[in-house]
Amino acid sequence: MAKEKTIRVKVNGSERRATVEVRRNLADFLREDLELTGTHLGCEHGVCGACTVLVDGEAVRSCLMLAVQAEGHEVTTVEGLTTPDGEPGPLQQAFWDNHGMQCGFCTPGMICATAALLRENPHPTAEQIRERLSGNLCRCTGYQDIIASVLAAAAEDK
Amino acid sequence: MSAFAAIGKSARRVEGREKVTGTATYVADVHPRGAACARLVLSPYAHARIKSVELSAALQVPGVIAAFSGKDIGGAEILAIDEVYFAGEAVAVVVGETEAAAEDGADAVQVDYEPLPVVSDPIAAMKPDSPLTRAAQGESHDDAGAHGAAVGGAGTGRPKPRNVNQMVEFQRGDLAKGFAEADVVLEDTYRVARVHQGYMETQGSVAERAPGGGFTVWTTTQAAFGARDETAKFLGIPAHEVNVIPTQVGGGFGGKFVLVEPLAAALARRVRRPVRVILDRTQDFLVSHPAPGAVIRMKMGAKKDGTLTALEAELVFDAGCAPGAPTGIAALLLGGTYRCPNLDIVGYEVLTHKVSPGAYRAPGAPQAYYALESHMSRLADQLGLDPIEFRLKNAAKEGDIRPDGRPWPRIGLIECLEAARAHPMWRDRKKLGADEGVGVAVGGWGGGTEPATGGCRVNPDGSLTVQVGSVDITGVNTTFALIAAEVFGLPVEQVQIATNDTDHAPYAGASGGSKTTYTVGAAVLAAAQEARSQVIEMAADRLEAAPSDLDIADGRVFVKGAPNRGVTIGELARLANRFGSRYKPLHGQGRAAVHTASPGFAVQLCQTKVDRGSGMPRITGYVAVQDVGRALNPAEVIGQIRGGAVQGIGRALFEAMEHDEGGQLANATLADYTMPTAADIPDIEVVLIEVPSELGPFGAKGVGEPPAVPGAAAVVNAVEAAVGVRVKNVPIKPEVILDALEEGGKR
Repeated sequence: MAKEKTIRVKVNGSERRATVEVRRNLADFLREDLELTGTHLGCEHGVCGACTVLVDGEAVRSCLMLAVQAEGHEVTTVEGLTTPDGEPGPLQQAFWDNHGMQCGFCTPGMICATAALLRENPHPTAEQIRERLSGNLCRCTGYQDIIASVLAAAAEDK
Repeated sequence: MSAFAAIGKSARRVEGREKVTGTATYVADVHPRGAACARLVLSPYAHARIKSVELSAALQVPGVIAAFSGKDIGGAEILAIDEVYFAGEAVAVVVGETEAAAEDGADAVQVDYEPLPVVSDPIAAMKPDSPLTRAAQGESHDDAGAHGAAVGGAGTGRPKPRNVNQMVEFQRGDLAKGFAEADVVLEDTYRVARVHQGYMETQGSVAERAPGGGFTVWTTTQAAFGARDETAKFLGIPAHEVNVIPTQVGGGFGGKFVLVEPLAAALARRVRRPVRVILDRTQDFLVSHPAPGAVIRMKMGAKKDGTLTALEAELVFDAGCAPGAPTGIAALLLGGTYRCPNLDIVGYEVLTHKVSPGAYRAPGAPQAYYALESHMSRLADQLGLDPIEFRLKNAAKEGDIRPDGRPWPRIGLIECLEAARAHPMWRDRKKLGADEGVGVAVGGWGGGTEPATGGCRVNPDGSLTVQVGSVDITGVNTTFALIAAEVFGLPVEQVQIATNDTDHAPYAGASGGSKTTYTVGAAVLAAAQEARSQVIEMAADRLEAAPSDLDIADGRVFVKGAPNRGVTIGELARLANRFGSRYKPLHGQGRAAVHTASPGFAVQLCQTKVDRGSGMPRITGYVAVQDVGRALNPAEVIGQIRGGAVQGIGRALFEAMEHDEGGQLANATLADYTMPTAADIPDIEVVLIEVPSELGPFGAKGVGEPPAVPGAAAVVNAVEAAVGVRVKNVPIKPEVILDALEEGGKR
């Protein structure tokens, strides 16, 4: 019944080949098929931003994109932002050191959204960060320590 | 000021690495081999008789393994059997090889309902001709007055209206006399919406049969032992046959105690495979237990000098379809925060056809303080008094009697009000531009208690492993690490925290009620102190010195005055963990039954500018003052206070679960249920007040609930200060402000 298609996607630097149902969204493909469970699902309707990943460097809600649409593209998840030996990367370190997370559920999406933001604008103001991250909900922190984490990461990256 | 080595210095999260790298395990990440997926079938009716549940079409769907009605699975606690009492109540469940198969199967289940009369609004439910709700059925209301049914305080023989489950009443003095003495009397009614905890991770559980019998349940819960007990009870097996493995909790705020754990285990038993029950966001909105809405009528009188003379209040809490609304807590806080000689407070817990509420950050307090603090600011205005001076004149302090006759212990309400009064935002509020103003509001929480145990193991590498049975929801594990580090004079990095499953953990209650640091922290402190005594005792033997002559620093025990004579903690642990050793392993156990609560108070200042075009208030500044006893980990305490404040702002500006007359929830998605984003919120300045508690570790008090309490009234009071418009119902509807502005002023 369900149609399937074989796709090739570069995920966190590795070429991945998989046969997926055409209705499978990118988030489920990453979480279930590739076991990259750092990408979280908070609403599955594109509002909360917890499932944000990078597709060719742009922030994308992986619950709103089909896995087959990622064919031929480069996907980076939170797991791909670590150092090569799996230690926290600079952005992740900044969130940890600056208390930019509490329950941690929104954190991977926040970090991916931040990566896309800093790629476009390496030294954003606090106001620009608030505007850009307004598509990522956090219920724990009141956002301030997240903003501080992004500013700290930007300051590191001279 | 600090004589502490670790306490009072900000430490980053002990579990931070896994959270920032995406390796932390949340419940939806748990996939036992061969796991099947379950999907609930929910009632579209708020009240209906279930005539039949037809599962055969579902069983034909490819990939569907099994399907069950309430009758099949046995237990109306998890699936309705004869009748549904709210829209979204589960009536059947389908198990499939995949989520998609289970979902397709659930769509194919055919349920035949006979719709029954619905009452959705609690005020309508109290009318004599209202349809009856579940708990009220079979109970005669003609002689309701005879029930009395007052909890606390002497009943006055007030009749109990229809669909009211429980009444609470508190009286003191002579109300009529109090109002006669007043120079100003103000009466009005306030409404607070039903709101959701809004945790980012939806609820869910994964269960499988354990190889040795019984069941293993992975779940996102604040209460591992509570989830174990409820699951075992439902399955009819002893509690020790259920092992609950708590996963990381992606936000709880009171909403995650026990929900689908029993169902997941029951399904695993029936289908003989591991089963995942992970709710999607809409199902979570429909079946989980949010914070109740309330309607609160206030009447207060005061003399010209600001002395309160009388307080009359009627609280109506919408308990949905089952008892458990926090009416009593709300009444006590509402009547106890300010001294008032003459009181009459009545609270009604009203049943309606909605899901029953659960806990959400200071249950009952945001509702009570919204009404109280709106009223206090308006009274101050009518008396021509400064709102903070008026509050200070009446604020409760140690020894003042609460409505239930208990005196307040030492509390920091006055210190918080004084700090708010001294803040530049308050001092300079008259200098603001047009349409901008500052509001103030108080919030409080009585604090919770529960016995707890903790363990502290000394490791051969010189580190400590602290073992607890409490779930980390707000950085409490990091705080436990600080406590143990403090006792041993070790860096916090030398302490690991093991949050154990219920088979292995020392007992602890739910992480909630602002009591985890306060009570489990006390057990961890005792465990670390015992481990330290063992270390000193063993070192005394090794060093041939008196224990009183020894001290510990930098991971090493040494003789005072002869620092060269010493032995490292790691060396002692190695000696004690060795074949044939004559030393007992170094392992402290601590127990605590702190049963006196330490109430916490917060005062918040909100600065807002109202947009005359849209009527929408924009928050331009915010100050959160709170007495935390002692901030063991200031960065996390401050972060928790900011998060709480933003939840309060959410209640003021955005959040409401909107039910229509038929009991349908109209906004069961995050697109329609609006929560504050980073762009809605300014920086929040936190002012910590430290009035140490007697019993909390190092003087700590609970931090989590108070900051979520004052927000709604602070925002609404700021709106009045800005444009002279009084909002009575939250969340604020901008059109209400707009209409009032067009009418040219106060309403």
